[in-house]
Amino acid sequence: MRFLIIRKADEETEAGALPTPALFDAMMRYNGEMMDAGILVSGDGLRPSRDGARVSFRDGVPTVTDGPFTEAKELIAGFSIIDVPSKEDAIAWIRRWPVEDANGNARIEIRPLYEPGDFGEEFTAEWLAQEERLRARAGTPRG
Amino acid sequence: MRVMVMVRANADTEAGVMPTTQELEAMGKFNEELVNAGIMLAGEGLHPSSRGARIRFDGNERSVVDGPFSESKELVAGFWLWQVRSLDEAIEWAKRCPNPTGAQSELEIRQVFDAEDFGEVMTPELREQEERLRAQSAARQA
Repeated sequence: MRFLIIRKADEETEAGALPTPALFDAMMRYNGEMMDAGILVSGDGLRPSRDGARVSFRDGVPTVTDGPFTEAKELIAGFSIIDVPSKEDAIAWIRRWPVEDANGNARIEIRPLYEPGDFGEEFTAEWLAQEERLRARAGTPRG
Repeated sequence: MRVMVMVRANADTEAGVMPTTQELEAMGKFNEELVNAGIMLAGEGLHPSSRGARIRFDGNERSVVDGPFSESKELVAGFWLWQVRSLDEAIEWAKRCPNPTGAQSELEIRQVFDAEDFGEVMTPELREQEERLRAQSAARQA
């Protein structure tokens, strides 16, 4: 099962505070352990919401709002994707999250990803094939 | 630059309502355009928060709270990673997205940190380690 691991934002990440060398070391060690265990698929950090934007659709009409967004604790500061046998395994890994992060007060949310088989009959064999073709081509550098 | 584009959850996504064939077709077409333009790096949908969990840290203590979580409009229902030239380019692509969660939908676009953003904190040793991890991860997915 693949899980999205969400590191929730806080005042410091929204202020654009960069990680300390100690945190950097600890995260790198943690990521290395997940990599050695063969479960880490990808991971990245997000710049503060002031560098982002929102696009809202009302009946198909888009409206753009520039960041920053105020509800810091509901925003996302970073994410990883891990591939583990169960939700319990995912939680066991997250329990080991470095205490150096947010002075030991980090808030993490884990969410299972939809896999093609989850879409049932709506997702025909033809769609599965197209989906796989697109995935294979994703990440191809632009010309 | 890379951006993460998040689809905000709503009552339907939290209830696990599946897209219709028509909606899947529209989204498949949009995704294909993203791939053809060399913008698409990744894209995934999330199960409702009822199948997830939150882990809170307080020093060395860890407490686990199982979903669902109530504030559905602050939750995420899916996301893409795009490679774009600017935030404006990302916004232009986002505007063309078929309404991802029904008539009323919201996308949030956030810039992803690159190694250069970390300045001197990112020592050459850490950078080397980071690049090694990413290369390993890419090799495993290939």
